[in-house]
Formats: sequence, structure tokens, C-alpha cells
Amino acid sequence: METPLTSTENRIETLKKCMFLAGLQASVLSGLASKAETLRVASDVTIITRGEEGSTMYFIISGSARVHDGEVIWAHLKEGEVFGEMAVLDSEVRSATVTTESDSLLLSIERDVFYDALSTDPDAFKAVLHAVLKREREIVEQVKTRSTKLLAYQKELEIGRRIQADFLPGSIPKIDNWEVAAWFEAAREVAGDFYDVFKLKTSSHVAIVIGDVCDKGVGAALFMTLFRSLIRATSLYGCMDSAVDNANGGKASEILLNSVLTTNRYIATTHAGSSMFASVFFGLLDPGTGELIYVNAGHEAPMIFRQNGEVELLDITGGVMGLFPAASYTVGSAKLNEGDLIFTYTDGVNEAKNPDGEQFTEERILKVAAPEGNSTDAFLRIVLEAVREFRGEAEQSDDITMLALKYLPPSA
Amino acid sequence: MATLNIMVGQEQGNVPVTVLRVEGDIDAATHKDLQDKAAEVIEKGATHILLDLGGVDYMGSAGFRAIHAVSNMLSDEESSGLSKSPYLKLLNPTDAVARVIKTLGFDVYLDIYQDRSEAVNAF
Repeated sequence: METPLTSTENRIETLKKCMFLAGLQASVLSGLASKAETLRVASDVTIITRGEEGSTMYFIISGSARVHDGEVIWAHLKEGEVFGEMAVLDSEVRSATVTTESDSLLLSIERDVFYDALSTDPDAFKAVLHAVLKREREIVEQVKTRSTKLLAYQKELEIGRRIQADFLPGSIPKIDNWEVAAWFEAAREVAGDFYDVFKLKTSSHVAIVIGDVCDKGVGAALFMTLFRSLIRATSLYGCMDSAVDNANGGKASEILLNSVLTTNRYIATTHAGSSMFASVFFGLLDPGTGELIYVNAGHEAPMIFRQNGEVELLDITGGVMGLFPAASYTVGSAKLNEGDLIFTYTDGVNEAKNPDGEQFTEERILKVAAPEGNSTDAFLRIVLEAVREFRGEAEQSDDITMLALKYLPPSA
Repeated sequence: MATLNIMVGQEQGNVPVTVLRVEGDIDAATHKDLQDKAAEVIEKGATHILLDLGGVDYMGSAGFRAIHAVSNMLSDEESSGLSKSPYLKLLNPTDAVARVIKTLGFDVYLDIYQDRSEAVNAF
């Protein structure tokens, strides 16, 4: 809705306050003021849109607006400031979107009107040029400050990345008659995926863990360290509120279940407000017999590739961890025979997308997997290469983690 | 920005049940709409919510986090000791969403129904 400002004098006063026009003579300002139009705009109205053509510049008489591109805000404008002047001066498309942040009164001036008024005074162009350059210098300073801040954030993130790397096993323990390989590739600096392989203190069992914390970035990374540490601590050193003392014995299945229940209950209770969860596969392997007991908490089913070509999937035995304190889990079991390979992975593998948005899927893993005659290293490489080839030019949108163990045949 | 369409209905079973029919993808950009709407109806007195997912073609992890948040808003001392929420149930998820629910094991935590009146009377 248009409402005329009361007088040309008032408009001149408004234009004068604007740094962009401050150097202009009264006669030029008067020319502009007489042809400017006033606009009353409600809050949250987009006045100009990035990429669109436009020949109007706007002065904020009262109110406020933000200069932005989607959700990224570049600047907040207030009374006396101008926007839309760049496209007026150089006839290019709008470089940013401007949206009001409160009920605002604007003065609009068309490109033709602006150049006509300026042509009446030989010094006018010089004055506007000075104003534009002054603004440019301010922007350069802002960019410098932001770059310095960004650099500091990047350093912090790099420190975070390095610290997080400590939450993955530095080396995988050597297990007689077994070959183990792992692959971990974060989609961003820090990741929500994790894996772990460690020997229990009180029995010959080897713990195999792979997990995926929901979401990405720093939040997921923080919870990754929590899940991983709690699982490791509770299975190695026992659960404080459990009747089973893991450190001094206890059946493997009890250790497994206690670790899962305690980790789940702790996070679901202490961090209930975060609603952060992880899908976790946690197995305890007896390397002497190939017996595996496990809890699959809402995780992609690990695959056991049998020497005879059959594949067994270890489906879930409970829901994702970290949300519901009273969640219950059952313990599954499987047996690996000599020559068998178990492959665990996170959804960065089966949900990897090609440029058409199609997913790699579990079916493709089964199709490309070649456990026969390959080492675990070679096996992971084959899967990884197939995923990369499928993904093509598409971006890696999620962390990729894979862990494979093979019970070496006697001849090896 | 993408938004969710959420229609609020009221049903009477053994207890009054508020039905939230959601339409749209529940992802990082929209999950808050669901949480806000649930908070609004709970503020107005809703104690049992049936979440109708028939109009949801995609639900990412943010959607599951939102569902957990709603379940938390409804929970009390009695329900926190139960493995399944007595106050929140799901209705009619699409095949794609049902698949993810199954993968994550969310059906362990929440009852899922195909039939509206059966769901309402299950509270």
C-alpha cells in the first residue's frame, strides 16, 4: 500500500540521511525526492530477490530489513540505509534477496529517475562514486573479519576432527586365525559413524561394534564419542548398577546385554531432551569357535557370507539406542565357520545416491560382494569402488563405515 | 521453505484421542512443524496422540527425532518405565516410511496401525 510522505522536504531529509546520497547537492536531492515513491510494507515481505532483474533502489525511512540468500543472512539494514542500488547502477541482476524484518516505510527510486537527477549536477556522479567506494571498503573490512573468524572455526573443527579420530581404534587387535579390515570415510570434517574392535578383559571374546548416530556434523560427533565410550567402558569395566560384574567374569551374553542396556538407559535418560539416537550393531565373537552373539539395535543387517555362497543377514534384535530408557533387547546368535566373512556397514554404503537420486541398496552390496578368495581388505575395496562408481559425480552425503572379519580357512 | 501440512482431528475411544494427520516430507527442514503442532495440542489438553503418517512419503532421522520428542512431551512417570508409549501411536505409514521404521526398530517403541478406529480404540 502506498502512502505519500507529507512533503518533498521530508523526503529530502530522508534521502540526506542516507550515506549513499549524502554528498549530493540540495537541487539533486530535491529532483530525486519529487519523483520518489513511498511504500509501506509489512514485516517479512521480500522486496527484491537474488538473481532477478530490477531497476529500483530502496531507502529505508523507517523499519528494518535483512539482506540474505535463503537462510544465510549477510546484513541487517535499518533506517537511513539503501538496498537494490547495485542493480540500478550496473544493470546486472539482483545480488541478494532483501526481506523486511518489521513494518517498514520505504522510498523507491527508479534507475531512469536516478540517472536523470544525477545528470543535472557534474559533481553528483563523483559523490555517488565516493559513497559506493566507501561502502565497498566497509565490505572488504567485513569480509576480512569474517575470514579471520572462519579460519578460527576451521582450526577448531580440525582440532575436533583430530580428537574424534582418537575415538576410533588406533589399531585393530591381532586375532589368531582371523583377518580384520575397517574403512571409515567421513562426509564432513567430523562424523557420526563409529566402529570399534577390542578384546574383552575377562574372556577370549572380541567385541565388534559399528554404529551410526543420527544427523551429521558436530552434534552427531559429540554423541558418537558418548555412544562409543559408554559401550566400550561398560563392556570392559562393568556396569555400576548391574548385578553382573563384567570386570570379574560373567557370561558374554550378560556382558553384551548389560552394556547395551546401560548405554541406552544412560543416554535416553541423561540426554532425553536431545532426542539423539544411534543404530548400533554390537557383537561378541569367540574367535576360537566362530560363535557370535550380538545385539542389533536398529542397524543395517550385517551379512555373513558363507563359503558355500549362502548369505545370512543378522536382523535387528531391538530398536535404535538412546531414546527410550526402558527399551529391551534380545541377544541373537550366529556361527561363522572357517572361510566365512562377516561384513558390517553403515547407511553411507546402502543409501549412497547416484546423480539421479537412486540408492545403492542392500541388493547391490550382495551383488558386488566377492568374499571368495579375497582378503577382508580387498573385499572392502571392491564394495567401496562399486559405491564410488555408482555415486559418480554425486556428492558423498553421509559417512561411510565398513568393518569386515574373516575366519581364515586352514590352508591360509 | 518447505512446511508440513498438519490437520488436527478429535476421536473418542476409551479415552479422547487427538489425531494429527501429517502431509509432506518430515525432514530437517520440517520436523519442527510437527513438534510445534504437537506441543500446541498438548498445551490445549491432548493426552493421547495418534500420528497419521498416510501423507508422508519420506521421513529422515529428524522425523524420528521429532516423534521421540512428541513421545517425551506426552510421557509421565508411569509411562517412562514402559518399553512402548501408551500415549503415542502411529497410523498408516507409507511403504517407504514403514521400511525405515522397521530398519530402525521404531516399531519396538511405538504401536503401528493400519486402521484408524482400531488405532483409536487401542489407547
